Amino acid sequence: MKSRYRTIFDKIFTVTTGLAVLLLVVVLFVILGPMLLRGFSAVLFKGTVEFRKMQLAEFGHGDPEQVRVESERADAVRANVYELIDNFKSGVDIEQLTDRAKEIYRNYGNELRLRELPREQYTALRSLSREIRNRLTDAFSSNSIEQIREHIEYVLQFEDDERFVNTTASGFFQLARQYQKAAAATDLDKRQEYAVELAELEDIITELLGPSPTEDSPALAQFRYGATRWDQAQKLLHRLRWKERWVEPSGKGNLNAESGVSLVRQEFSRKEQFDGTELEPLFGYIEENIDRMLEPKTTFYWRYFLDDSTPGHYFGGIGPEILGTLLLTLLSMIFVVPFGVISAAYLTECTKEGPIIRIIRMCVNTLAGVPSIVFGLFGVAFFVIFLIPLFGGPSQPCILAGSMTLAVLTLPVMIRSSEEAIRTVPRTYKEASLALGASGFRTFMTVTLPAALPGILTGVILSLSRVAGETAPILFTAGITVGPVPDSIFQKTRTLSYGSWDMAVGDKLSAQVPHNQFGMVVALILLILILNALAVFMRSRVFKRLKGQ
Amino acid sequence: MKKNSLCGFAVLALIVAGSAIGAEKLHIEGSTTVGPIADGFAEVFKDMYPDVTITVNKSGSGTGAAALIDGRCDIATMSRFMKDQEFKDAVARGAFPVAHVVAMDGVCVVVHPSNPVNALTSGQVRDIYLGKIRSWKEVGGPDIPMVVISRDTESGTYDTFDSFIMKKQKMASSVEYVTSNPQAFARVKNTPGAIGYVGYGFVQTGIKAITLDGVKPSIQTIMSGKYPVSRPLFMFTNGYPELGSMTHKFVTFHLTERGQEVVEDKGFVAVTSY
Amino acid sequence: MNGNNAEQTVRNAAGFQQPLVLTVGQDIRGFLFKHLGRLALFALTVTSVLAVFLIFLFVILEAFPFLGKFSIVEFLTGTAWYPEAHGTPEFGVLALIVGSVYVTAAALVFSVPIGVLSAIFLSEIVSFRIRNIVKPIIEILAAIPSVAYGFFAVLVLAPWLQKYLGFTSGTNALNASLLLSIMALPTIISVAEDSLSATGRELREASYGLGATRFETTFKVVIPAAHSGIIAAIVLGMMRAIGETMVVWMASGNASQIPHPWWNLSQSVRTMTATIAGEMGETVKGSDHYRALFAIGLLLLLMTLLLNLVSEYFLTRAKKSLGKS
Repeated sequence: MKSRYRTIFDKIFTVTTGLAVLLLVVVLFVILGPMLLRGFSAVLFKGTVEFRKMQLAEFGHGDPEQVRVESERADAVRANVYELIDNFKSGVDIEQLTDRAKEIYRNYGNELRLRELPREQYTALRSLSREIRNRLTDAFSSNSIEQIREHIEYVLQFEDDERFVNTTASGFFQLARQYQKAAAATDLDKRQEYAVELAELEDIITELLGPSPTEDSPALAQFRYGATRWDQAQKLLHRLRWKERWVEPSGKGNLNAESGVSLVRQEFSRKEQFDGTELEPLFGYIEENIDRMLEPKTTFYWRYFLDDSTPGHYFGGIGPEILGTLLLTLLSMIFVVPFGVISAAYLTECTKEGPIIRIIRMCVNTLAGVPSIVFGLFGVAFFVIFLIPLFGGPSQPCILAGSMTLAVLTLPVMIRSSEEAIRTVPRTYKEASLALGASGFRTFMTVTLPAALPGILTGVILSLSRVAGETAPILFTAGITVGPVPDSIFQKTRTLSYGSWDMAVGDKLSAQVPHNQFGMVVALILLILILNALAVFMRSRVFKRLKGQ
Repeated sequence: MKKNSLCGFAVLALIVAGSAIGAEKLHIEGSTTVGPIADGFAEVFKDMYPDVTITVNKSGSGTGAAALIDGRCDIATMSRFMKDQEFKDAVARGAFPVAHVVAMDGVCVVVHPSNPVNALTSGQVRDIYLGKIRSWKEVGGPDIPMVVISRDTESGTYDTFDSFIMKKQKMASSVEYVTSNPQAFARVKNTPGAIGYVGYGFVQTGIKAITLDGVKPSIQTIMSGKYPVSRPLFMFTNGYPELGSMTHKFVTFHLTERGQEVVEDKGFVAVTSY
Repeated sequence: MNGNNAEQTVRNAAGFQQPLVLTVGQDIRGFLFKHLGRLALFALTVTSVLAVFLIFLFVILEAFPFLGKFSIVEFLTGTAWYPEAHGTPEFGVLALIVGSVYVTAAALVFSVPIGVLSAIFLSEIVSFRIRNIVKPIIEILAAIPSVAYGFFAVLVLAPWLQKYLGFTSGTNALNASLLLSIMALPTIISVAEDSLSATGRELREASYGLGATRFETTFKVVIPAAHSGIIAAIVLGMMRAIGETMVVWMASGNASQIPHPWWNLSQSVRTMTATIAGEMGETVKGSDHYRALFAIGLLLLLMTLLLNLVSEYFLTRAKKSLGKS
């Protein structure tokens, strides 16, 4: 009886240990899965014509002719959108209309001054045009259809007046006709409301399709293009369709109540807001023609790993980050490998265990246990402030300081793995060489070291992967988040690790480009996993070879 | 053999370092708030003057000031004015900081959009950060504990908030600290009970700016100084830059139309208006 | 005759054309070469000692003016960390120390049972082949850089915690300690597994021979025999967790408070490492605040040194006790 319980208990125990390991595997997938999935979308996605335009203009990739043809095709479809908006706007945007009337008046005034007219004629025309302008602006700001008609009719009576024909003043009449038409089709009382909604709508359309062709190209690259990716376009389309609002859960929609209840999010149709206006068909048109306006194509953006990026990683890739990471890590290897291998050789070959060796070993272990952030502090205090200026360098964080800091950090890893590699070389090799009369040094250089080399190389790769992922030591010694590609080792550099941190918490734009956020960190993880896989592969080969002989 | 490779490397490093001298360079260091403006200017300058390299480092106003004093940067971006200690240090080292106001910014108190509270007084906000008010219920909201978020103590945003709202009183220990404006934005956006403060440029969909002492933050109220927590943003140079130099062009770029466009695109209020 | 021939061949092959007699010069040269070479090698080997020395020296040098100016007792027992307060800055690191210890302890609560169980699974239960599959997976967990864990904590885990567990704030002690426990696990597993595997076969066979089940053998025989190694594993895991920067900086919320009530992991805390990382870049070089951060660094250094000595003690004990059995 008792033994049965014991057996059951034993089984449960066995299963529990298995579950613990299973949990680990699950955790690994839970952590890597979502990140990898989202990260890959930085490279493989449906790119729109805006993406190809951006690639051509910002990075010079792609076929100019094809992009031109594509964007002309897309522009033809888009033209309708802008026309609809412009028409609607001319009845709604009082400010813009008033500005235009004033501009015409100003230009006409300049024109008059240049024509040599008799004094009283000049004054008469000037005051008449002022009157026209005032009537127009009154018409623009009026909410009464009668008043508007009255003002417009007054203005239009001068349309065929020979004094105004073929002058800039003819702009007045164009404006008046346009407004007459628009005012008839618009609910005048709602103009203010429409204007606000329209501004919002225009912002979304700009984000979706890029700035309208009649506007100047924006100063910042970020605003020069529409949605470059199809998933982004879908999201914008959703925003175009639905407007977000936070209302009381009771649904009364009272926005300003302070009733002590959490508000809930509600979406309502934008189209309904423009019901019965000239703008109503816009929504259907965009929805139906969105793919013709953007021409999505599956894109494999391998240049992601080479391209530079616009500030905030809004567009472009992670080339400089990869380069910076490689620079830092390889440079630190140059510093650490000689020291690591020689230390390991000394510890294994030259001495017997004794107090000195014990101290050295203890120091190596201590070094391995020092928190990485303390290495950062040390890097600032020693390399940046003390050592580099001592040799006449600039006292500022730079690649050199960062890589030396990383070299100190990875020294224990290097020593330990080299030691292990040297130890695994069979004794018989050394004994054979020594028996042949070769000196200890020669034996080491010609027999032990070559035999241990693959093992040492494994150690180098492992140190590389450790160094590539470190962030804390380079925060103050080498890293920046925005900056040019370094052209000397006395400059700071961007790195994948620091960049990942910045993308996660530091950068304003990055939240708008989640694919780039995850792309960066996935590139870092992949780099490290590849290095580790390489190390595992090499280790297994060494192991086989040593076993085989 | 190892030594040789080291020597070889040193020589290589020197060559690389040597080749770097030549092209005109502009190094900008400082505030995380003003950093984006400098970024934007740099981006436009890249097209206008392709052979000038501009580095913008966003590490905090204090770092910017220190770098300018040490001569490690040409322009220090700062979201606060230099402190007297920094001025003393500068003069002691023969540097004479000159301030250029490039934009205006309001520090807005923000909450999650689901929060029904729309207005607070600065006294209430102070009490929240002092830990005296701990639930939204006490200010007319739902019964949710407050998650109080502040910027790190070295940032210019903190400095402004500290002097305008906190009146230099120490915040409660339960206040969470974030290292950047975007992080503050993200925390408030994702946390229904949160209250935080960010620069005006970071008030966008997803968070709600609160009316403070009856004034809603907007371009007009910030520019006119009506909004209680508005501040100028600075670029500091060592002496007034030589006219026509790249530094001069950079610190006066905000006066051009293009420069204003950048300032506004980055979510700040331009100091000139036309 | 045959023997003579063979000897000749061997000599030729080894390149010994002349008898092995060295001249005095060669002898001295060889002697010098050997010893000078050794000295040079020794000098290089001492780099790591030098590095440790320099780390201590420079961190102490930068921290020293602070420790001279402010009372160490106040530094260690003060709970108010207001390094930039106008006029009256306060540098009390107790809340930060508590924060570090708090997340580390919470991380160990998660990782020790899982780690030890996994180590048992690997060393006691499964075959060599399965172990060879599982170990690389655990190594991957160790290889993923801490900033990637932090990234996961902020952008994936924090929203999950808020959405599914209803926390008011997703970046808190729980988030940080969960990730720290994942990062400490590989260390704990590999060291614990080593010490479990190193216990002799005889012990186990004797136990099985007496009719004990695997559970009984493991808990009553193997673990007591390997307890020093397991303790060392836990201490090493603890070191890993307490020195970790990026994850806690990104995931812990960074409020410098002592958690109250102590069991509520949903509060936000701030650790020593996060404080250094977050404030070092912003502070004015040479200011009190800057020096205070170095003082925190020194404190961290001393803590990890202590833990290191403890782990060494247990590791040597483990070696000795296994050597005896």
